[in-house]
Amino acid sequence: MSLLELKDVSKIYGNLHALDKVNVQVNKGEWLAIMGPSGSGKSTMMNIIGCLDKPTSGEVWLDGVDISKENNKSLTKLRRDKIGLIFQQFHLVSYLTAVENVMMSQYYHSMPDEKEAMEALDRVGLADRARHLPSQLSGGEQQRVCVARALINYPEIILADEPTGNLDEANEEIVVELFRRLHADGTTLVVVTHDPEVAEVAQRTIVLRNGHVDHEHVNENFTGHIKYNEEAV
Amino acid sequence: MTRQKMYFRMISASLVRRRSRMVVALLAVMIGAAILSGLLTIYIDVPRQMGAQFRSYGANMILTPVLDSLSKDDISECTSMIPESDVVGVAPYRYDTVRINERPVMAAGTDMEGAKKTSPFWAVDGSWPGKEGEIMVGKKIAELYRFKLGDELTAVYTSEAEGNDEELVDNEMTFVITGFLDTGGNEEEYVFMSVSDLSSLTGIDEVYDVCELSVSANEEKLNGYADAINEAGTAAKARLVKRVTQSETAVLGKLQALVLLVTVIVLALTMICVATTMTAVVTERRKEIGLRKALGASDNSIITEFMGEGVLLGAIGGIAGAILGFLFAQAVSVSVFNSSISFRFLLLPLTMIVSVLVTAVSGLLPIKSATAVDPALVLKGE
Amino acid sequence: MIKGAFVRQWKKMAMIAFTVALGASLATAMLSVMMDVGDKVNQELKAYGANIKVVPKETSIIGELYDVSDGESVGSYLKESELGNIKTIFWAFNIVDYTPFVSTVAILDGNEVTVTGTWFNHHMELPTGETLDAGINSLRSWWSLTDGAFIDEQDDAERDVALVGETAAEKYGIKTGDKIHLDGDAASGDFTVKGIFNSGDEEEDKIFVYLDSAQDLAGLEGKVDSIEVSALTTPDNELAEKAARDPSSLSINQYETWYCTAYVSSICYQIQEVITDSVASAVRQVADSEGSILEKTQLLMILITILSLIGASLGICNLVTASVMERSGEIGLMKAVGANNQAIIALVLTEIVITAIVGGIVGFFAGCGFAQIIGNTVFGDSIEIRALVAPIVAVLVVIVTLAGSIPAIRLLLSLKPTEVLHGR
Repeated sequence: MSLLELKDVSKIYGNLHALDKVNVQVNKGEWLAIMGPSGSGKSTMMNIIGCLDKPTSGEVWLDGVDISKENNKSLTKLRRDKIGLIFQQFHLVSYLTAVENVMMSQYYHSMPDEKEAMEALDRVGLADRARHLPSQLSGGEQQRVCVARALINYPEIILADEPTGNLDEANEEIVVELFRRLHADGTTLVVVTHDPEVAEVAQRTIVLRNGHVDHEHVNENFTGHIKYNEEAV
Repeated sequence: MTRQKMYFRMISASLVRRRSRMVVALLAVMIGAAILSGLLTIYIDVPRQMGAQFRSYGANMILTPVLDSLSKDDISECTSMIPESDVVGVAPYRYDTVRINERPVMAAGTDMEGAKKTSPFWAVDGSWPGKEGEIMVGKKIAELYRFKLGDELTAVYTSEAEGNDEELVDNEMTFVITGFLDTGGNEEEYVFMSVSDLSSLTGIDEVYDVCELSVSANEEKLNGYADAINEAGTAAKARLVKRVTQSETAVLGKLQALVLLVTVIVLALTMICVATTMTAVVTERRKEIGLRKALGASDNSIITEFMGEGVLLGAIGGIAGAILGFLFAQAVSVSVFNSSISFRFLLLPLTMIVSVLVTAVSGLLPIKSATAVDPALVLKGE
Repeated sequence: MIKGAFVRQWKKMAMIAFTVALGASLATAMLSVMMDVGDKVNQELKAYGANIKVVPKETSIIGELYDVSDGESVGSYLKESELGNIKTIFWAFNIVDYTPFVSTVAILDGNEVTVTGTWFNHHMELPTGETLDAGINSLRSWWSLTDGAFIDEQDDAERDVALVGETAAEKYGIKTGDKIHLDGDAASGDFTVKGIFNSGDEEEDKIFVYLDSAQDLAGLEGKVDSIEVSALTTPDNELAEKAARDPSSLSINQYETWYCTAYVSSICYQIQEVITDSVASAVRQVADSEGSILEKTQLLMILITILSLIGASLGICNLVTASVMERSGEIGLMKAVGANNQAIIALVLTEIVITAIVGGIVGFFAGCGFAQIIGNTVFGDSIEIRALVAPIVAVLVVIVTLAGSIPAIRLLLSLKPTEVLHGR
C-alpha cells in the first residue's frame, strides 16, 4: 500500500492552474525526486504534500488520511506527526543554537529531549557545532541542522524543497549523502529540485510541466547507500 | 527536559540573543513605565506638596475662648487633637491696648516662632523680637511716630476701672525696636511683643484671646478636627478661616484635576507609542512564526510563546521604568518643592501590570495576524 | 523609488506617521498648557480675594484706631467719582475686580452695628467699550449664604436691601425678609434683609448695604473709605522689591521696566497716581502666596512637560529604529545590487522625514485639541496656543526623527548583503 497518494489533485489560483489533475503515488521507504522548470507546479505540490496547503479539488491520502478534507488544525497536527520539512532557505530560528532548533521541533511534537537532539546532530556530523548559533554555521552546516530537525520526530515522510539550492558542491554532496543514509534507514523521502544531479540519485523521478506530470522514470543507476547494498547482498 | 524548561529556554534565548531588537522593545516599555510611575507619583503627591505651599496663606483655623480667655494648657489640649505631622504652626495671641506717647495703640503678645509659621507672608524689616524687652512695630505705627530701628519706646498700661474703689494699675516698660512689620493688613497698626513681656507690662497672667493654627489638611479633614475640638468640650471654640480653606479647596482641586488630566493624556499617548513599537518589533518576526507553524506548532502554542516573551519584557521594563519614574518624580519634588517623596510600593506592581498588559495586547494583534497567514507564503518571503 | 517605497510600505509608514503624530500632539498640548498655566492658575487664585488695598493717605490709622476706641469715624476719604479711574491705568487689563467700601456705625434697635456700603455686582461700561461686573459677590468668593440670596444690582428693583452677617443676624434675631430700621449719623432708613451670609471672619458681624445707602446714613456723600482691588500680577523679584520700598531709587531704565511689568508694587503705584490722596498697598497674605504658588505650579508643569517630551522623543526614536531594522532585507538587496551607503541613507532619511512631517502636522492640530480639552475641563476656559509652540514642535519632530534613525542606519550600514539575503 502506498504511503502517499495524490488522486486527480488540482490547485487553481484565479485563472492559473498550478496543478491540473495530478496523480502521484509514493510507497513507504521510497525516495522520490520531483523536477521541473520554474512555474511547473513543484512548489504547489510540495506545499500540498507538506500539509501546508490544500488542493482545490482531488484527494490527497497520507498514511490512510485524506488531508484534503481536514481542517487547518488537523493539518497542523498531521504536519507535526508525519512530516519533516527541509527548506532551501534553511529557516533556522536565528537566536536559537543548533541543538535548540532541533529541540524546538521536538517541543512542538512531544517532549524536548536534549540527548536525543544531540544524537540527531551527531548523525548529521554536527555534534561539535551543537552550541553554535545559525549565524556561526556555514550554509551546509545549517542545512544539516535542518535535516536533523526534520528527522528528529521520526516522520513518515521527509519533504525537502530545493535542499541544495543554496549550497556549494561539497556541501551538496554531504547533504545528498545524508539522504542516502536516511533512505537506507527506511525513511520515505520526497525531494523537490531542479538540479538533475540531485534528482538522479533518487529511486524515481517525476517531471512536472505546466501543472501536469510530464513524465516519470525510474532511475536505473540507483545504488542507494553502500551500507544498504551490502546488507542487500 | 520538560516542556516548560524548553519554553523558558526559547523565551530567554529570544530575549538575550536578539539583543539590539530587544533593547529597542525594552526601551519602549521602560519609557512607558517610567512615565506611568513618575506621573502617578507626582499626581498622588500633588495635594500634599501643593497643600504645603498653600500654607503660605497663613492660618486656616482659629481657636477662640468659650469663656473669657485661653490658657496655654487649653491650647495644647486642642492642638493635641490634630496629628502632629499636620500642624504647621500654632500662634496664640493676646491683645491689650497700651499707650505710646499718650496715644492708644493695640499691643499683641504672641509666640514669635509660632507667628513666623502661621503668617509666613509677614515681611519684617529688621528682625523678629527674640529677647525680653524687644518689640516689633507695625509699619503704620512706625511711620506715625517716625521710629527708626534700634529706637527705644516706652509703653504704658493702665487697667480699665471696673469698680470705683479698685486701684488703677499704671505700669510702664521700655522696649527696643528690632523690626517693622509690613503685611498690607491691620497688623501694620499694632505692636508685637512676647507674651511674657505683655503680661509683665499688664500684670495679668499669660492668657490668650485667640489662637491661630496653620494646619496642613483639606477642608474636609479640617472640619473634622474643628468638630472634634468643639465636641470635646475644651475651653476653646474652633473655627475655620473660610477665606483660606475654601479657596484652597477650590484652587487645589483645579491643580489636581490639571495634573490628573495631563497624566491621563500623556499616559494614553505614551501607551499607544509603546504599542506601535511593540507591533513593529513583532511584525518583524512573521517569518519565524511561519516557520514554527510549518514545523507543526499550533496557533495557541505560538501565541503562548510570544506572549511569554512579551510578559517577561513587560515585567522587566515595567520594574526598570517604575524605578526610573520614581527617580524622576523625586527629582521633580526636590527641585519644585524642596522635599522628598516616599516610594510607593503599590506603584511597582501596578506599573508592572500595566506594562505587561500593554506589551501583551500590542503584541497580540500582529501575532494573530501572522498566525492567520499561510505558513507556506510566509516562508517564501511574501 | 521613494514613491514606490511609500506605496508598498504604506502600512509601516502609516504607523511611523501615527506615532510621530502622537508625539507631536503630546508636545503641542503640553507646551501650550505649560505656557498658559500661569495665567489660568492666576485667575483661579483670585478666589483668595483682593491683593491690593487702597486707603486714604495720612490718618487712616487714626481713623481705624479711634474706631477701636470710640467707634467714631474721622479722618479723610477717597472720592467715589474717581473709582472709574482704576480701570484706566497702564495695567487696567490686569485689574479683574475691585470694590469700594464705606463703613459707618448705625443704631439697630438700640444696638450699635457696623454698616458697610459697597458694590455687590456693580455694572460698569468702560471707556474701552468693555464691561465689568465688579463687587463683593465675586471678590468674596468664599462667602456662603445660610439663608436668602445674594444682592443682584441688575435685578433688584429696590435699593433698600441688606445682606446681614451670620453673627449679627443671630445676635439681633434677623431673618431673611425682615425689615430692619437703621439709624445712622446723618439719616435713617428701612432695609429689607435679602440674605444671611457666613464668611468665617469678623465680617459676619456686619451689615452690608448699597454704597449710596451707607453714604446717606453716614452723611458721607461721594466718599469711600477703602477700595479693595484684585489684580493679576507677576511674582515679585528683586527689582520689584526695591521699587516697592522707594520708586525714586530706580534708574530710568529700571523704572521703565518696573512700571511696565505687572508687579503688584507697580500696579499699586499706578493706582495711587489716579486716586487722589491714596495709599495702595499689597495685601501680603494674598500677593506673596500667589507668587509662590504660581511659581511652583509653573515649575511643576515645566518638569512634567519635559518628562512627556523626553518620553515622546524616545518613543518616536524607538519606533523609527525598529521600523528601519525591519527593512534590513530590502536594504541588503539594495547593497547587493550596488547602492552605496550615501544613497541608502538618503533614501531612508527622505522617506522617514516626509512621513514625520505629515505626522507632525496632524499631531500639531490634534495637540491643540488636547490642550483645549484640558483647558475646558480644568479651567472652563480655552487655552491660548502660542505662536512659539509650532516651531518648537517642528524642530523637535525633525531632530527626534533624525536622531531615531541614527542607530538604525549604523546597523544597516554594517549589514553584509550576503548575510541578509541568506536570511541569517
